[in-house]
Amino acid sequence: MMELSQANAEIRIADLGMDDLPLEPIRPTPTPIAPDWFKKYHELVRAFTTTLTDCISELSVMNLPQEDFIDLFMGRRMPTNLSVRFRIPLVWGGKLELSNLFMCLTFPYAHNMDRFIIEQSGNDVIWLPNPAKKIYMPAHLGSGGDGGNATQDRLTEIAAQIATSRGME
Amino acid sequence: MNTTEFLSSIKSRGATVYPPVSKHDVALANSALQSRRCAMFPAVFLDLYNYASAINLGNGYIFPPIEVSRNIIAPIPSIVDININLINTPEIRGKTIFGRNDLFWFAFDAFGTFYMLDNLNLRVLRKYDDPYRAMSDCLIAGKF
Repeated sequence: MMELSQANAEIRIADLGMDDLPLEPIRPTPTPIAPDWFKKYHELVRAFTTTLTDCISELSVMNLPQEDFIDLFMGRRMPTNLSVRFRIPLVWGGKLELSNLFMCLTFPYAHNMDRFIIEQSGNDVIWLPNPAKKIYMPAHLGSGGDGGNATQDRLTEIAAQIATSRGME
Repeated sequence: MNTTEFLSSIKSRGATVYPPVSKHDVALANSALQSRRCAMFPAVFLDLYNYASAINLGNGYIFPPIEVSRNIIAPIPSIVDININLINTPEIRGKTIFGRNDLFWFAFDAFGTFYMLDNLNLRVLRKYDDPYRAMSDCLIAGKF
């Protein structure tokens, strides 16, 4: 694979349906990871989902049923077709920290992000997806689910109740 | 382990098993893979597709012979579409990607060997003689 310039990386990620996805270049440095990383990764993903109460506008676009929404916030269950990804993979020096994770739809986005990274295999510089927020949803999907503002208001209320019950406010 | 034992085991862990498609659709998928120089379905997969199309556990997926639609949720792409998109990827020449989760991809080759692959570069991380073990690892690693 030819080294990608920023312009070519942006063209490719747009081809994959994510023209507004910010990219970050890194020089992948093989990094040893702790033997217990897998267990810690699962614990971290669970903890990450409980921090999403401030991502109502992105979640409302996903049209999640109310039960899925609550299960997600409570760290009980991941709704279908949601993936949590590393911004910088552990083997390339990424940390097992909440700030190194983001969420997106598995199909098509997480799968296409995998393809985007795989296509750069062997390059000195790898362009990695690095969305600004904790959840990536392409802007072209618009805002608001079936219920529009009503859905967002309802989810905001649920999120506030959950946050309050945790003593976060 | 056989296919029904595998499906029973994975269902008991919460997997969703989508209903099988026709043998004709499976045969078409197999020949589509062959014409693109991917590995054809090993016997275990042909047997699995008698009982199921896609299987999903969390973010772990076994891909179906034809796309599975899920109402408002994005469809599960077919194993053919997944592999067509990778046709210019030298790392998997001669293999067929059959599953994924958020950490690994999974493949088989023409000799019926199954593989866990790094989802960053498709490097082989593990080889499996037992295909059911490979499919279980693919799904269970995706469980929340």
